[in-house]
Amino acid sequence: MLSSEKIVHAFEAQGVTHVVGVPDNGSRALFERLWAHPQIEVILTSREGEAFGLASGLYLGGATPLVLIQNTGFFEAGDGFRGTAYNMGIPLVMLVGYRGYKTMEPGAPRVDTAATFFEPTLKAWNIPYTAMHEDADIEQIAGAFAKAQETSLPTAVLIVPETV
Amino acid sequence: MLDKYECLKKLAARRTDEVVVTTMSVAMPWAELSDGPLDFAHVESAMGHAADFALGLAIAQPERRVLVINGDGSTLMCLGTLVTLAQRPAPNLTMVITENGTYEVTGNQPVPGAERIDYEQICRGAGIENVHTIEDAAQFDAHLEAHFTGTGPQVFIWKIEQASEPVPKPSRPIRERAHSLREALVG
Repeated sequence: MLSSEKIVHAFEAQGVTHVVGVPDNGSRALFERLWAHPQIEVILTSREGEAFGLASGLYLGGATPLVLIQNTGFFEAGDGFRGTAYNMGIPLVMLVGYRGYKTMEPGAPRVDTAATFFEPTLKAWNIPYTAMHEDADIEQIAGAFAKAQETSLPTAVLIVPETV
Repeated sequence: MLDKYECLKKLAARRTDEVVVTTMSVAMPWAELSDGPLDFAHVESAMGHAADFALGLAIAQPERRVLVINGDGSTLMCLGTLVTLAQRPAPNLTMVITENGTYEVTGNQPVPGAERIDYEQICRGAGIENVHTIEDAAQFDAHLEAHFTGTGPQVFIWKIEQASEPVPKPSRPIRERAHSLREALVG
């Protein structure tokens, strides 16, 4: 489990103004905490591809957005990601829920392709990423912001266990 | 029916410091009228995502009007965005849907549902209340000012004649245009 409280503190430390995306089971607690946050605005999109266009507009307008989606939504968002945040050179951090991670463990009764296709896709698209497995990994969010600024390109932080 | 070139000329003549986001068959005709840092051709990008991009600009820049001129084909590619526009209303956002029933820049193939879709009903059904369908030059002239002053999110559906614009080729790469826009808006 990952502490949603600590993740929100990491957002605050980076000056995040808007969180844009679509909730899933893993991010439920994080969304609930963000909805109650007095400074960070949550903007829901109808589909994940919109999140990258909307966040790109927010950044070019002077805000500090963050995209929060699940890996299934990341796949759906392919052209939206490529054509907005990536092509525009937006230093955007995305937190992406890693649905199916445990199904890749040896002996699992089924494999979730949302998991098996995920990291190969991130690599193919040249997206730098790290993964949060426990609370100590939440500090990687700061590193992702630094990497995004350094490259002026999007970076990803993967949410492995559910947030609480 | 409207002549889009005449509509764009009138829009450009009235325009002052608004951000204008254009797509597909409007991008190059608009660039001939205005091609500064506040003019953003949403091409070499992701078709269907100009409106959500413009919403982000409008939210981040609440004191500045943002106009996005979208095609009907582009609108259809991400219809859910109309719901997104309604559920997070930006009073400074104006969306135009240029409706000609075709994918103009690829040879005027028909868009799905051409001539059967009622974009005004779709927008209203999505929760956008300020929606106007414009069918002739007199109606356009009557609504011109509202494009800049009406309460957003508002949508103007321009019923335009078919034309034959080629694939748009902006003068500068998208990354350069994006960061010029940020520089103009944020400094």
